[in-house]
Amino acid sequence: MLDTLGSSLKDALKKLAGKTVVDRAAVDELSRDLQRALLQSDVNVKLVLAISQNIRKRALEEEPPKGMGVREHVLRIVYQELVNLVGESAPVDLSPQVILLAGLQGSGKTTTTAKLARFFQRKGLRIGVICADIFRPGAFDQLNTLCAKINIPCYGEKESADAVGITKKGLDLFKQMEVVLIDTQGRHALEDALIEEIIQISRVSQARHRWLVIDAALGQQAADQARRFHEAIGIDGVIVTKMDGTAKGGGALSAVAETRSGIVFIGSGETIEDLERFEPGSFISRLLGMGDLKMLAEKAEEVINPEDVDVNAIMRGRFTLRDMYKQLEALNRMGPLRQLMSMLPMGGMEIPQDAYDVTSTKMARYKVIMDSMTKEELDDPTVISSSRVHRIARGSGATPENVKELLKYHRMMQQALKGMRGSKFNLQRLMKKFGKSQ
Amino acid sequence: MFDSLKQKLRHVQEKLSANIQIAAIPSETPSPPPPKKEEKTGFTAKVKTLVRDRELILSEKDIDEPLGELEMILLENDVAFPTTETIISALRSDLVGTHRRIGSSVGRVVGDSLRSALRGVLGSGFDLVSFVRNQEKPVKILFTGVNGTGKTTSVAKIAHFLRKEGFSVVIASGDTYRAGAQEQLSTHAQRIDTKVIQHQAGADPTAVIYDAVQYARAHGTDVMLADTAGRFHNRANLMNQLEKIRRVIKPDLVFYVDEAVAGNDAVIRAEEFNRLVGTDAVILTKADMDMKGGAAISIAHTIGKPIAFLGTGQSYDDLKPFSPEALVDELLGEA
Repeated sequence: MLDTLGSSLKDALKKLAGKTVVDRAAVDELSRDLQRALLQSDVNVKLVLAISQNIRKRALEEEPPKGMGVREHVLRIVYQELVNLVGESAPVDLSPQVILLAGLQGSGKTTTTAKLARFFQRKGLRIGVICADIFRPGAFDQLNTLCAKINIPCYGEKESADAVGITKKGLDLFKQMEVVLIDTQGRHALEDALIEEIIQISRVSQARHRWLVIDAALGQQAADQARRFHEAIGIDGVIVTKMDGTAKGGGALSAVAETRSGIVFIGSGETIEDLERFEPGSFISRLLGMGDLKMLAEKAEEVINPEDVDVNAIMRGRFTLRDMYKQLEALNRMGPLRQLMSMLPMGGMEIPQDAYDVTSTKMARYKVIMDSMTKEELDDPTVISSSRVHRIARGSGATPENVKELLKYHRMMQQALKGMRGSKFNLQRLMKKFGKSQ
Repeated sequence: MFDSLKQKLRHVQEKLSANIQIAAIPSETPSPPPPKKEEKTGFTAKVKTLVRDRELILSEKDIDEPLGELEMILLENDVAFPTTETIISALRSDLVGTHRRIGSSVGRVVGDSLRSALRGVLGSGFDLVSFVRNQEKPVKILFTGVNGTGKTTSVAKIAHFLRKEGFSVVIASGDTYRAGAQEQLSTHAQRIDTKVIQHQAGADPTAVIYDAVQYARAHGTDVMLADTAGRFHNRANLMNQLEKIRRVIKPDLVFYVDEAVAGNDAVIRAEEFNRLVGTDAVILTKADMDMKGGAAISIAHTIGKPIAFLGTGQSYDDLKPFSPEALVDELLGEA
């Protein structure tokens, strides 16, 4: 469903390609598709209408700069307007500070608190964590366990019913610490007593930052909730959690618009390291269901040596076992294959479901098997005969079936990538374009 | 609950009725057309019926605007995009081109259409008590869902609910992954005085649940409730783990738990969970957060499974059996 959405947007853009004059019908279509895409991503309905009107107006009225095609011109406007809406990443500084986390039940405050602690710890700061959740059973155990894993002191009282008191005591205890994080109980806008409580906590702690934690799946409700929290304690940053699911995080946009703040972090996984600084470009690409080129390029630069994966060779359809080996190796650092693939701009292309289901243990086994292959075999898997399969299996301590399975997986990937080559997308050209429009 | 949706639906309903009435007026004003020789019989017949029986044929034009408005309202209330389109097109095909008797109650025509469109997507309800009563004991109930939707709390609430109905309950602490999950569940269980089967953190959830089933058999317990760790539907391994639990335990009932405030993603994940591990009924939590009601409509529509309960608050009694009839009645007013 999402793929078709992304590709319908792309189709709309394609209609503008090569034109010298902006085509009103095409712009209308684009603005409609954009509306659909944003609504599907849970962006607030009013925001969607406003932004699509803006884009339509600008696309029709502004003259494209000399030398810029209509398609690029419109794409740039779309991108600019969305960046405008999302805002830049809210600032995070490393000076001593107190940070208060607030949010709805089950939005992931406790997990995020631990992730944040880890983030500041890696920056070399001393951190203390306060658990001001007096309601949910096991909340303190949860935070305490997570903090113990990374050796960060955590203050909480299991039997207390006084969140404000705990906060006070915790702050006293952590006077020496540079960063103090306060985790609070989940609450929503209609629970007046709890809203009052968090106002108290905010006042007592004099928190420098008050961040709202929002589940990426939160729908149209986001705006109302954010407004209430903002009225209560003045939210100055938003953290979007659970971005590793399929939710698009459009609710966070409403929250940002309501609080006039920015997104600070993105939570994207279950381990304590899975916290990313917010990046407007990639967030927007995800909202629209279009590939995230900028991020992909950056991520690739970060973790892969240039010779590691030759994207162009792969795009040309030359995909040897050696490439796959490198890919598997790089994958560990770049995250799951599906995530990587979703960043590539290949809209409607279907990667067989099985290709994703290769588990990390299987990958490790594949690598061992490939270690037992000769250079010739790695470069050209077709030479692998049955006797070679047996040799490889013996050499790597695997069964011949494992080896065959690996070869099958390789063929599947090869097929999939060949299909990609056939599509009309030119990766490099697109990458350049995105780079320019930044 | 549902207030904003309710008011807006009423408004649209009125508007639709008004538009239809306006559409009806011009057909009344032209008095019997001067009998022009031999006109095409079809046309004359039409005009005759129009006038004589005061019947009217609705054209798409007459209802386009209010339907557009309705679409926005549904979207604003978290009804997922595909579901919205289903409702709108059901309404459109129901209203357009049909001969309608006007006069008596235009509002009724619109109301009935809207009602049947909503009922069509909401499906039927689910009665847990009679389900448990009719099953062989112990009844094994598995809870699934993504992270942070309130599975553990719902397990406690359901346990409390069943105990009030006179059943004995044992809970399996199948979330061995999240820190604090076991403590959370055991505290809940203590408060509602229910037995919990636990292993240590990191244990195989299937083993925990299996033990709970054994316990229930040995002690003649009526119901075994199995909590599981939250997981995203796009994690093959975690979903396989859930599939394994289902295969080994063979639950009689799988509850899928999601939050009422979720947006469009609610549909995607409900669908994936249903496809990968199966869902028999749905529990919607956090319905007290001024819920828009849309998630209920879209989830039920997408996977075609009944919504059994709404979680409406923080205490153990905050669990309401869900009735689609009641929801539709509340949204549109009594028939």
